[in-house]
Amino acid sequence: MSEVIVVTSGKGGVGKTTTTANLGTGLAAAGHKVVLVDADIGLRNLDVVMGLENRIVYDITNVTDGQIPYKKALIKDKRYDGLYLLPAAQTKDKTAVSPEQMRELCDELRQEFEYVIIDCPAGIEQGFKNAIAGADRAVVVTTPEVSAVRDADRIIGLLEANELREPKLIVNRLRYNMVKAGDMMSIDDIIDILAIELLGVVPEDEMVVITTNRGETVVQDDKSRSGQAYRNIVRRIKGEQVPLMDLQEGGFLTRLRKFMGLK
Amino acid sequence: MDSLIKNPDRQANGGEDTIGDENTILIKRTLRSGQRLHYDGNVVVMGDVNPGAEIVASGNVIIMGQLRGVVHAGASGNEKAIVMSFRLAPTQLRIANHITRPPDGDSPETGHPEIASIKNGVVTIEPFHASADRQHR
Repeated sequence: MSEVIVVTSGKGGVGKTTTTANLGTGLAAAGHKVVLVDADIGLRNLDVVMGLENRIVYDITNVTDGQIPYKKALIKDKRYDGLYLLPAAQTKDKTAVSPEQMRELCDELRQEFEYVIIDCPAGIEQGFKNAIAGADRAVVVTTPEVSAVRDADRIIGLLEANELREPKLIVNRLRYNMVKAGDMMSIDDIIDILAIELLGVVPEDEMVVITTNRGETVVQDDKSRSGQAYRNIVRRIKGEQVPLMDLQEGGFLTRLRKFMGLK
Repeated sequence: MDSLIKNPDRQANGGEDTIGDENTILIKRTLRSGQRLHYDGNVVVMGDVNPGAEIVASGNVIIMGQLRGVVHAGASGNEKAIVMSFRLAPTQLRIANHITRPPDGDSPETGHPEIASIKNGVVTIEPFHASADRQHR
């Protein structure tokens, strides 16, 4: 049984690409066959985050135009055998692909892979419509900011209008100390507005920046809190029941303190 | 929802005890940011009205949930229209040609349903008590 999951958010910069890369790597590390599809045509990033940029020869538009079979455009991951990337085109724009072509592509990919994870572009226009066209499930990423939550709400409305029922929520870049001090929206505040099921909470963590700049993913890092959060999310996607981790203990807090102290 | 077209010929009678032949629409879900409902008649929402959502109705608006978006009741000029919600925390509230917004800063949660109506020419928000409300009609 295979699943096509779209990772979306509405607002830019909340961590769609990072989340896509980490979920994909986490699922591949758990032994699944996974393909990541970068639907952000014109502003491709997923290949950079995965550290695979210099291997790109063909891209998604070559496949949807029928020039080559999709297998020719797939790039194998450096670390995991079961992980592949279908990169976006950089020199074209969102109109280069249509929702019908995306649907066909997803149906082809699901024959071969257990998980097809689509990295959706920011916004609600053509690129968003393309990205969600072939998906069975949606994961909405937000940060604890009113603007991001507002956009997530809009996106959830649009997903529901497109028959993608019951999207799941990932809250990214949560800073526990700020929530505790009442300076940041809490998980409860966010759920109160969005009223959808929570898939996981990823704490703010500088390891995400460090690993991303290296073309690696934080989910592979056993020591970091954010890596643990992503591993938990991966298990929940597979259908396991995993309790939310306690965000206040351990290295995360110490690191935050250090961060505050430096300021 | 966008296809619902307002008919200005119909006169809303939101303030009366009985609704009569006024149209009423029942929305059995939450209205999210960017969703807009325009209706000639009363609107009942079984869910929340989130920030960025908007309801414009010629009659009364009742929200069986939290109101955090924009609601315009009595949009065709009916000053007797009311807005009621389990938690009244709108971005902006309009009744007929009156516009209000909540005071800046956090408004405390009251924990009971509230009703907004025009009294002596200003939009007034009060706790909703079924019996008291019936008396003052």
